[in-house]
Amino acid sequence: MRPRCPTCLLLTAAIAAFMATSAGGAEVSADAASDLSVTVYRSPYRGSGSIDIDRLGGFALISETRAVRLPAGLSRLRFEGVADGIEPASAIVTGLPDGLVEKNREGALLSPSALLASAAGRSVTLLRSNPKSGKTERVPGKLLADAGGGVVYETAVGIEALRCSGLKESFSFDSAADLSATPTLSVLVRSREPVTATVTLSYLARGFDWAADYTATLSADGATMDLGAWVTLANGNGVGLPNARAQTVAGRVNRVSGEVEPLDIGGPILAQCWPRGSTSDSPGLLQFDRSLAGGGQLKAGRNIATLALAAPAQMTDMMLEAQRVEQEQLGDLKLYRVPERTTVAARQSKQVRLLDRAAIPIKVVYGADLAADADALSIPAVKFLRTMNDAAHRLGLPLPSGGVAVYVEHRGERLLEHESGVRDLAVDEELEISLGASSDVAVTAAREGAVTEPVTPGKAARGAQLDVSERVEISNARASPIQFELRLRVAEGARIVSADHPLERKNGRPIFRLAIPAHASAMLRYQVRHSGG
Amino acid sequence: MRAHLLAIGWLPWLLAGASVCAADRILSVTIYADDLALIADHRDIDVKGGRQRIEFQDVSAQIRPETVSLTAADIGIVEQNFDFDLLTPAKLMEKAVGREITIVRVNPASGAETREQAEVLATNGGVVLKIGQRIEVLRDDGLPVRVIFDKVPDNLRARPTLSVTITGGRAGTRPATLSYLTPGLGWRADYVALFDEGDNKIDVQGWVTLTNSSGSTYENAQTLLVAGSPSQVDAVARQPNMRYVQQPRPTVQAAGTESGSRERLGDTYLYPLAERTSIANLQTKQVSFLDVRGVPAEHGYEFRNHWLGSADSPQSAKTIYAFSTGAHAGLGDQLPAGVLRIYMRDKRGNPQFIGESRIEHTPMGSTLSLATGDAFDVKVRAVVDKRTRLGPFEWKTDMRYELSNALPKAVTVKLLQEGLWGDARITAESQKSARRSAEVAEWAVTVPANGRADLSATFDTRY
Repeated sequence: MRPRCPTCLLLTAAIAAFMATSAGGAEVSADAASDLSVTVYRSPYRGSGSIDIDRLGGFALISETRAVRLPAGLSRLRFEGVADGIEPASAIVTGLPDGLVEKNREGALLSPSALLASAAGRSVTLLRSNPKSGKTERVPGKLLADAGGGVVYETAVGIEALRCSGLKESFSFDSAADLSATPTLSVLVRSREPVTATVTLSYLARGFDWAADYTATLSADGATMDLGAWVTLANGNGVGLPNARAQTVAGRVNRVSGEVEPLDIGGPILAQCWPRGSTSDSPGLLQFDRSLAGGGQLKAGRNIATLALAAPAQMTDMMLEAQRVEQEQLGDLKLYRVPERTTVAARQSKQVRLLDRAAIPIKVVYGADLAADADALSIPAVKFLRTMNDAAHRLGLPLPSGGVAVYVEHRGERLLEHESGVRDLAVDEELEISLGASSDVAVTAAREGAVTEPVTPGKAARGAQLDVSERVEISNARASPIQFELRLRVAEGARIVSADHPLERKNGRPIFRLAIPAHASAMLRYQVRHSGG
Repeated sequence: MRAHLLAIGWLPWLLAGASVCAADRILSVTIYADDLALIADHRDIDVKGGRQRIEFQDVSAQIRPETVSLTAADIGIVEQNFDFDLLTPAKLMEKAVGREITIVRVNPASGAETREQAEVLATNGGVVLKIGQRIEVLRDDGLPVRVIFDKVPDNLRARPTLSVTITGGRAGTRPATLSYLTPGLGWRADYVALFDEGDNKIDVQGWVTLTNSSGSTYENAQTLLVAGSPSQVDAVARQPNMRYVQQPRPTVQAAGTESGSRERLGDTYLYPLAERTSIANLQTKQVSFLDVRGVPAEHGYEFRNHWLGSADSPQSAKTIYAFSTGAHAGLGDQLPAGVLRIYMRDKRGNPQFIGESRIEHTPMGSTLSLATGDAFDVKVRAVVDKRTRLGPFEWKTDMRYELSNALPKAVTVKLLQEGLWGDARITAESQKSARRSAEVAEWAVTVPANGRADLSATFDTRY
């Protein structure tokens, strides 16, 4: 038929190699990346706290600069060695001559099952070892089917099934099909003349995450703390990024592409057989060979490259000389740049210093969060330290979300007191770090009484109003006086009508602030009125 | 024809690409927006005259057999069959029940082979054989036994196979078209936008992204993408009629009224690919359809308080980028639904990703407003100062919104109070609001550089 299929004209053995890829054109591989940049974004779904190295839900923007040499005409330019978590739809290729026809990401990877699938209906060589001599017999045959995990083949003798006889059997294939080991991105490009170009490939890849990890060390008198922080970034991909410019971005960015482009990572040849029931109870001797399993799961190994996650911060003097990330504004986000090039290896977590601030004035406060009309409730107070993220408190810099480990001095040793998390904090925001529940300070709440006002005649629809008298007792078993804050949750339409301590409001919620002496307790009484409805 | 197809199957893999040509075949693939494609396979068939069965092995693995139609001049269709009884070892043995097979016992000590003929009696749980007058269970003793079958039963196939039985009027080769629907092929748009913060301009590139998980490869296909779906089955379920379900943030601010030069099919747009392409199984393919530079864009902030409630800690405002799709100072095209990723250059000039947003099918001339993420430095805390009950279904709520800005420049935050159901009135406010709809009040609050701003409003709500 007419020029429907121009490649038909070229169908000679000599050109068959060109036809290896269906669309035709010369195969060109881009050089290895000469310059790499990786920008790590935190998981948009993770709350504050540290990263989970087994579940890296963040992502990264990877830019690779590569040299390419393109012949004239149509060619398929392959970029090998891209991160396995690549989101192919996000790939951008710049620097190519005009005439980019299409971008492709092949989803089928080279695997035992892919080899078998590509050989279906074709000739293969069966390898069978003789149990006595140990010699391997090579039988030419044809693979008939690989459906449903079972393999049926035909030789000169007849039709047999793979690995059903109890003999060691395998296939030898003529070629490794047209499949690559790792996800490969390729572009089909048409060039008028042979060119040498430097192209930049940028793409988003999953399997990364980062967080700030803070260490706060309280001074002996509890009036100040030293705050140090690491940027911890992790790569769960199987591809390393050597000598890369590394950045992290703080702030939550929108992610909508929940779908993952399908990828056939293949699997072992299962070689399922006919039912093999036996008349004895002994377990079957037939073992499927699962050692071929090449599951390409992104499973981050715990290969922590630098220091342990909770890096000791007593080496403050040394840290002052260590390199720190540099912060800059990126739109409405914060970009942290690792000052020197670094290698983000495959399945690695890496730490770079974020900040070190000493003698930050703090207040240690105990608090409880109660329903205003709680009854028969006894809970420990929560201890937290509070400061402001401003220059007066020796801070005043954006604090990206992450985990906080609080240390205290005890007989010259630094001991961990509590671990918690902080959210993204802008300059001039209040910084509160939880130190956990304190059993020394107990809060007991009880209803002392409730009075229902009678229905007012003529206002039948209003119903009754309920007044609750509440008593809250706070006991302090510590040898020092404490500051205590009781925050109340008031039901819709209810209000506190009277109290024996001054009532304040914070963030729209009623709050009592009390100073409680050492080894003493304080009693607080108030009345809540629920207006009739 | 049948022999022809089979012959292709045995060709060495290197020549696989040639099978299309050898079959003299033209594929046209029309892909709809939600996992549906129409395949039209034009090829020559060799009609022998009289009744004849034609097998099509190279169809989509997910073919919907009920949608198949084969058309050619001067033929009649007797029946169409879709056989999915697959050739597996278990099936092979099952079909051999009552037949003779050859078993080869291999002596593990000597390596000597003994051949015997056996009849398969049953394959339930295990294979029961009759050898001479003995009844045995195959490989009951765990010793190696090869089983050799002399042929593959007719109806067992390596993959699901479509066959059509025709009656041909006159013999001869003639063009035929096999068409069918298949799921597993889909497409969407992906946009790359580079925002220039200095002069508030945006460059946008659009790509169509084809995905193929149908299990088959479509060689050298003429491809047409339809920005819409012919399926109406689920359309009702998708209507946003649930009042209390939180709707995703709308991206189209003002729907456009312009028309472009794009090809249309009914009320949807068509995106034909300029060149033929091969869509391999599990391949993700992208082809450019839009490249516009220097479109004016606005950068702003938006905060939505979903109901008249407080937040314990300040919440970040959303970063918003807005631009037009109109012919004048816009992208000048309608946009098929997809994901738009926004990039911005860092201080060293390298583009960095700053967030993405889904966009719906957007007519030309629309104003798009896309949220890309949370602003680190611009936050809002909504506080209920006081809530009083005025009656059984009547409440008075004093709201205060504390806005903070840690940026060295003043910003304007569009503050939206949602959830004003029923008869909700604003009885007092520190700044004039606009009522975007009965349920949403809107303020534009300017927050000074490194400063704070407060807004308060009193709501009188009756349900």
